[in-house]
Amino acid sequence: MNFSSIKQIPAGFLAVTIVFSSFVAVSFAERKPNSQQIPSHVTFSRDIAPIVFRYCASCHHAGEAGPFPLITYGDVKSHARQIADVTSRHLMPPWLPSQDGLRLEDDSHLSGGQIALFQKWIADGVLEGNRDELLPAPKFTSGWQLGTPDLVLKAAAAFDVPASGNDVYWNFIFRAPLKSSRFVRAIEIHPGEKRLVHHANLLVDRTQSARRQEKSPGSGFPGMELQIESESFDPDGHFLFWKPGSPPIVEPAGLALRLDPGNDLLLNAHLQPSGKAESIQPSIGVYFTDQPATKFPVLLQLDNDRALDIPAGDSNFLVSDEFTLPEDVQLLAIYPHAHYLCRDMLALARFPDGAEKTLIHIARWELNWQAVFRLAQPELLPHGTTIVMRYRYDNSSDNISNPSNPPQRVRAGNRAVDEMAHLWLQVLPVASAADSRDPRMILQEALARHHIENNPDDFEAHYNLAAMLQLRGATREAVQQYQSALALRAGDAAVENALGGALLAWHQIPEAIAHLTAAATARPEYFDAHYNLGIAQATAGNFPAAAQELTTAVKLKPDDAGAEANLGAAFAELGETQKAILHLNRALQLDPGNALAKENLEALRGAAPQR
Amino acid sequence: MCPWQIPMLRIISMAFLFCGFAALPSVPQTVRSTSPENLDGKPVDPFASGSGRVVVLLFVRTDCPISNRYAPTIRKLHEKFRGKADFWLVYPDAGESASRIRTHDEQFHFVIPALRDVHRELVKRSHATITPEAAVFDSAGKLVYHGRIDDWYEDFGRSRAAPTTQELDNAIRTALDGKPTVPDHANAVGCYISDLK
Repeated sequence: MNFSSIKQIPAGFLAVTIVFSSFVAVSFAERKPNSQQIPSHVTFSRDIAPIVFRYCASCHHAGEAGPFPLITYGDVKSHARQIADVTSRHLMPPWLPSQDGLRLEDDSHLSGGQIALFQKWIADGVLEGNRDELLPAPKFTSGWQLGTPDLVLKAAAAFDVPASGNDVYWNFIFRAPLKSSRFVRAIEIHPGEKRLVHHANLLVDRTQSARRQEKSPGSGFPGMELQIESESFDPDGHFLFWKPGSPPIVEPAGLALRLDPGNDLLLNAHLQPSGKAESIQPSIGVYFTDQPATKFPVLLQLDNDRALDIPAGDSNFLVSDEFTLPEDVQLLAIYPHAHYLCRDMLALARFPDGAEKTLIHIARWELNWQAVFRLAQPELLPHGTTIVMRYRYDNSSDNISNPSNPPQRVRAGNRAVDEMAHLWLQVLPVASAADSRDPRMILQEALARHHIENNPDDFEAHYNLAAMLQLRGATREAVQQYQSALALRAGDAAVENALGGALLAWHQIPEAIAHLTAAATARPEYFDAHYNLGIAQATAGNFPAAAQELTTAVKLKPDDAGAEANLGAAFAELGETQKAILHLNRALQLDPGNALAKENLEALRGAAPQR
Repeated sequence: MCPWQIPMLRIISMAFLFCGFAALPSVPQTVRSTSPENLDGKPVDPFASGSGRVVVLLFVRTDCPISNRYAPTIRKLHEKFRGKADFWLVYPDAGESASRIRTHDEQFHFVIPALRDVHRELVKRSHATITPEAAVFDSAGKLVYHGRIDDWYEDFGRSRAAPTTQELDNAIRTALDGKPTVPDHANAVGCYISDLK
């Protein structure tokens, strides 16, 4: 009998992913007067309304996250002094980057002239002015901003946000009921009560790996950062995010996101108690396109978490990282990420000729206003360019955001009291004629090696490097990298399974069986482990054990044609022809084109013609 | 049925409470116009009802997010000093109707009586400038503390994981003990009362 080789690519990819959000286009014309242009009398209608409409109203209108509307003269007048105060100190509109980096989409930094207008408006007596000069107020649509979605998914269960306490991070899992793969041009996130949701980040979980963290199906689970697994090299190249006041991003042609049957969508929401107990139940609207993806951006993560070991009381702790690009890329967007202690973030590009250019600089980091910053225009970063990340942290008691009082020694981690030093770049690799490999893989392999250099104990880097090596046939080195990962996380089911799979591909059968058995023991409901162990046992000629493992696999995933086909093959080897035919036919019902089932059925008919 | 026809200001407030405001058409406009009102529109003097008691005024606003996030803290303090100090929620925004305040107080589970200080009599007496802001008066009716509840917020959008000071709690305790309150003022963070109508 024939058995398929390892159908489930046992290699997995792990990604630590974070809390994204972003700004998008707003349609009001910018007006940034300099101080010379300040009129003798500032009025709402002529001078103030255009700024408020452009920079404030998208959040400050009924139903949005802003706590009060800022649309009419009365609205704005009743907060005038507060607005003058918060704008003069650049607290509002919330915009973190300073002006010394790349030009960004929807830069909502107010100019000195605009700020001065608010001051003078108050000094002049908060005048309304001539209503004829007032621009039409912006119109906001309630409900779905992009029209009726093709698919609406609602969280299975609401989450109860307590009345008081610190910020809460909650993850909702949406099961996408797709029958075939689709391309997605936009996803609109409706997080629920917007005053509670600071921002939310949506991730595609291609293997339903996050479901294991739910106490019961649909319950959701807590956590600030997420780790999800993937069975193939299919790195997420999109930032899917929500933040107050931002309409959803429609991906440009060719940049659509693929969604497959069985994929889950994970919404990681940063929630802030409002003073009363409330509950939120987000929903998301998915918009499909017939235009398949033709461009595949990559999210590159620079980090140096190993260097994060901040003594209590240290007010200026530097963490840096440098990564040299192995190929040309177009930089599309930047997402800097840290927790509450970070003060100053700088990312710059050092070009091959030594010249430096600031990509982004945040002089006063605020976790609450984190965002994905999209470049106004893509920036070409040629092969050999070094990306430099320099983050500074304040772990003194003068940093009021410090979650610990008195300050404690802080290291890298996923909890709010831990820190992070991450710089995510969304880049579009420019394929090289000289190298036929997937340019995304070249980047990610270089990055994984860089992470291991930074930190030999980087589990994800060893694991992902191994998976990429295995994919490109470098099995021997893949096995070494899996072994390094396993040494860091002994008994981890995903690594045991992946290492077993790599050994199986390398025909090291007894070793493969040992690791696959360890995987199936560590996680008894792990389909891949039982499936791969079944194949390994069959390869070793132990068909009773193979049938047993594949029976378990079929129970765990009754709609998997490959498992049925291999189970049929195992029964055929055991001489249990009827059972063999039953499972081979099931495989064909599930997948009429299943070559293995067809081949084996034909072989069975040849050997023992149908009665 | 109502024998008191325009005696002195503070007393007439009490009379209104008893008799009903509408029954007294002859009340001079000036008296009506400056008194804080309860949610039934009746003038209330928070200092008259519990003579000789410590009075705590909490200036709040239904649409001020910082003020709202303080609701659980305010409720806890009220519970802690129940029977010892008289708490009042004071709404200084003339634009906030009694029914809006009532709905708000139900949503935030406030059992503290609410006043609409539409003419800022209490704002002035308390030197309040922000919501949320507290004012503590000793048993002689003297302002002994005004300012923030604690140091949870340092600025708009910048809050600590937990406050490290408890100015209001401290001020109430010292007022109950009849001791001087230190500090007697600490700047609050929140919405500006001066922006209101």
